[in-house]
Amino acid sequence: MLRLQSIKLAKAKHLTVPSPSSLRLVKKRMIAMDLMHHSSCFLLPTIPLQRRPSLTYALLVLNQNLPRFTPLLWNHAQLHLCADGGANRLYDEMPLFFPQEGASDVRRRYKPDVIKGDMDSIRREVLEFYASLGTEIVDKSHDQDTTDLHKCVTYIRDSASGLDKSNLCILVVGALGGRFDHEMGNLNVICRFSYMRIVLLSNDSLIHLLPRTYCHEIHIQTSVEGPHCGLIPIGTPSKSSTTTGLQWDLNNTAMEFGGLVSTSNIVKEEKVTVQSDCDLLWTISIKKL
Amino acid sequence: MDLMHHSSTFLLPTIPLHHRPSLTYALVVLNQTLPRFAPLLWKHAQLRLCADGGANRVFDEMPLLFPEEDASDVRLRYKPDVINGDMDSIRKEVLDFYRSLGTKIIDKSHDQDTTDLHKCITYIWDFAPDANKSSLCILVAGALGGRYDHEMGNLNVLYCFSSLRIVLLSDDSLIYLLPRTHHHEIHIQTSVEGPHCGLIPIGAPSRSSTTTGLRWNLSKYMSTLL
Repeated sequence: MLRLQSIKLAKAKHLTVPSPSSLRLVKKRMIAMDLMHHSSCFLLPTIPLQRRPSLTYALLVLNQNLPRFTPLLWNHAQLHLCADGGANRLYDEMPLFFPQEGASDVRRRYKPDVIKGDMDSIRREVLEFYASLGTEIVDKSHDQDTTDLHKCVTYIRDSASGLDKSNLCILVVGALGGRFDHEMGNLNVICRFSYMRIVLLSNDSLIHLLPRTYCHEIHIQTSVEGPHCGLIPIGTPSKSSTTTGLQWDLNNTAMEFGGLVSTSNIVKEEKVTVQSDCDLLWTISIKKL
Repeated sequence: MDLMHHSSTFLLPTIPLHHRPSLTYALVVLNQTLPRFAPLLWKHAQLRLCADGGANRVFDEMPLLFPEEDASDVRLRYKPDVINGDMDSIRKEVLDFYRSLGTKIIDKSHDQDTTDLHKCITYIWDFAPDANKSSLCILVAGALGGRYDHEMGNLNVLYCFSSLRIVLLSDDSLIYLLPRTHHHEIHIQTSVEGPHCGLIPIGAPSRSSTTTGLRWNLSKYMSTLL
């Protein structure tokens, strides 16, 4: 934070002798902007007790192949939802991660709390299996205006009881890949719910939004993620973004599609900082262990 | 505003003779699993490039699409014209194999500022005579999925070369840019594509978009903001 401040002041000095009012403006902006911490400790086998921020996780399973670390995410989550055909994935693919166990034992252990969506993909026998185990089924087939991800996020935000939502992080598997319009619709959900922590995960990468209203500190878990990363001005051009901790840092740099978009960047330090005038998408590769 | 026509005839077994627009196809193969229709795209293309590890994919996976044939016969038949890129993914035996068959190898390992796709598009741009550029269409396999920063970098290439027709294809979808400088007519090949579709304002909000022919058309008074 202080380093960013000194960078801004140094730059101002280089160009002109900063007026007291411009310095006050810079300082005011830095003070006004809160710090938001990010860490992929949900990818670690155990989440360190003193980890800041201390978050409650919800896991959302969409209708794509389960990433290999799905059981790990499941363990960390206090709430487990399937969006429609995500329940088929859970039913069919969770047993494949535990080949030495009986499939029905695995299915009972990985029972979702809720299945929600328009129910046009879930197989009848899967629906009945989980319903018989007590999974709450929320049928939203009348609602064709929002995606299954959107329905699930609003459910978590508005309805899910017994969940500490003060520091909530929603982990989503199956939102990337597959049909491109689905992927973009899912991206739009995290942009619309920019005030919530939502992380989209695939076998190869994770992505989440860095809202422009915060300065960001991203604590890199080098055992499970990196080094390949990127910052994407997904919805609107950025006139000015600044980073530290990357191989190719941005320094009040403009980014937009058709020009510079920070991809194939490399994480160099264990802490990456980002500040921007627009919402940026942060993406980092997940290690194949 | 000029009209621009689009049609996925490259997904048809044969491209109709009088089809408009009449296009010349180039195929670029990136380093992801080949889509099931890769041989079809290969057949329509007059120029075939592999971007670095895309050559591994052609070498390893083309034979899998012809299980009844001998692997080396398939490899000889599906020989890229060019392999271009920073060469940090292509396997040595694959590089040697195609080099021995006469494939042009362009080593751009010194250039770390652009993606492999960008390098390939630049090569095609420089290679194609000016007269043919407007009738050129570059088909790209392997640009979607995988590492997300790669996917976004590939999407950005569409914007950086917005005057070129570039189509990114996966097993599930195809995508291309509709530049705002034109009205667009998209002729749907219902035997091979659809019905699911979308229009995405990537990179900048759209205050006004208008469509016809969709289930949920956009009208000019609606703002489409991400």
